[in-house]
Amino acid sequence: MPGEIFNANPTVYAPSKPYTRKSHLDSGRSLWMGDVQDEEDDSDIEPIDQDEIFDLIRSIYDPEHPNTLEELRVVSAPQIKVSENRIFVEFTPTVPHCGMSTLIGLSIRVRLLRSLPDRFKVDIRVKPGSHQSEHAVNKQLNDKERVAAALENPTLLDTLEQTLADVGRRGRSGETISLSLT
Amino acid sequence: MNIDLLYKIESVAELQGHEERTWHVSWNPTKPLLASCSADKSVRLYAYSELTESCDPKFSHITSIPTGHSKTVRALAWAPSGKTFATASFDSNIGIWEQEATSDYEGDDVSGGEWECASLLEGHETECKSVAYSSSGTLLASCSRDKTVWVWEVHPDSDFECMGVLMDHTQDVKCVAWHPTEEILASASYDDSIKLYIDDPSDDWFCFTTLTGHTSTVWSICFAPSGNYLVSGSDDCTVRIWKRVSEHQWECVSVLEGHERSVYSVSWGVGKGDVEGGLGWVASTGSDGRINVWELSESSDMSANAPPKNKLIARISSAHGVNDVNTVVWCPRPGYEEFLATGGDDATAKVWKVVKA
Repeated sequence: MPGEIFNANPTVYAPSKPYTRKSHLDSGRSLWMGDVQDEEDDSDIEPIDQDEIFDLIRSIYDPEHPNTLEELRVVSAPQIKVSENRIFVEFTPTVPHCGMSTLIGLSIRVRLLRSLPDRFKVDIRVKPGSHQSEHAVNKQLNDKERVAAALENPTLLDTLEQTLADVGRRGRSGETISLSLT
Repeated sequence: MNIDLLYKIESVAELQGHEERTWHVSWNPTKPLLASCSADKSVRLYAYSELTESCDPKFSHITSIPTGHSKTVRALAWAPSGKTFATASFDSNIGIWEQEATSDYEGDDVSGGEWECASLLEGHETECKSVAYSSSGTLLASCSRDKTVWVWEVHPDSDFECMGVLMDHTQDVKCVAWHPTEEILASASYDDSIKLYIDDPSDDWFCFTTLTGHTSTVWSICFAPSGNYLVSGSDDCTVRIWKRVSEHQWECVSVLEGHERSVYSVSWGVGKGDVEGGLGWVASTGSDGRINVWELSESSDMSANAPPKNKLIARISSAHGVNDVNTVVWCPRPGYEEFLATGGDDATAKVWKVVKA
């Protein structure tokens, strides 16, 4: 992978306004990382909408650029569909031959796996017509065994962690975060 | 979704202890033992009290085997003797496990000595996904994401000799299964196909037919107890029944629908049905968390490719809560035909029984 740049000059877009609704997902990983049984009241499950899902994945970095998936318009809120216990995320590779697409999809999957309650089944696909190996990428991203094995690969996991380094920003810039901390 | 069915699926035991998702479970064919394996790299063994008229078997954890595999233990299989089991791991190795002989160890004592790795079969290049012993116990098959299926001959003293490396699949091989009486091997793959192999006595193992029809990954396959049918479960959300229409010819005769997401596991047991021409019970499960049980029976139409009759007789939703169910297996021991074990992403293994509603 190093050495080969699939899209040397991607178009970078200004991020949209950060999502402002106070999300219960924001209250930290601990609530959702543990067992679902730990939840105090199952009947109190708040619906999760597409903006919240977008918020979780917008600040994932592209594996080959210092930009976020939002800035490259790889992900967008309208490409996310949420129904009762299912989430569907479509993403758009910047170029149709993008060899990083599987990795981008895997980053999205891991981010959602780590942030969402167990009850959600997540399906991830590239935007139809946006990638030359669309079927192969989709198949791999939705094969739980392949995903599980990939996450046991230390090199790959390391690369994934880098793309997820600043996901907590949820669209805000670094400065905004430091300001809100002081 | 409460449709009236002839049978219901009742919970018998819920076995906790794995720290990560349970990938697979396997019933010991001769002794009251159940084994489970997990992403936590361990194998857990449970003993159960024998079934009596008034009492279901009671399960108790007897040992956890750390295995030493450096990655997920994806599958395990007992040898027909019930004395040995094999593990398939994402670390690309197959482990062979035997119980250390204790001074007075004889017969049916299920506790006995420590389980030790008697042999480690290396050869696959990437994650092993499945492992299976032939009905005689003299052959072992394994498969991997490296697209190959290996056939090993089992020699005394945990010695294994590779008899063939089958490279017919074009993708990741997900599952291997043996015919219940003959030396016919089946494999299922990410390339959406199923392949069947036999040994050419004067040459090597070879693929004699490829079964196509599924439109996505075939996750699981299992021969019928009669040996004349094969069941498969796929990412295309269907379960298919394949029939042996002549010695080396198998055809898809039925497509069973009843799952909303990937079917990860199928098992064909002899069942406890009383239907005429009964072929046993097929159980299926998967990402929708549902267990379906179908009763299969011979059609009155005697033509070679006539589909068997099928009837959904029992179903349970959310078998492992909100989680995926990765495996379902009928107990192979006589007297336990209505017992099923499952393993899920909630890290548990569960035991169920299918009883008249």
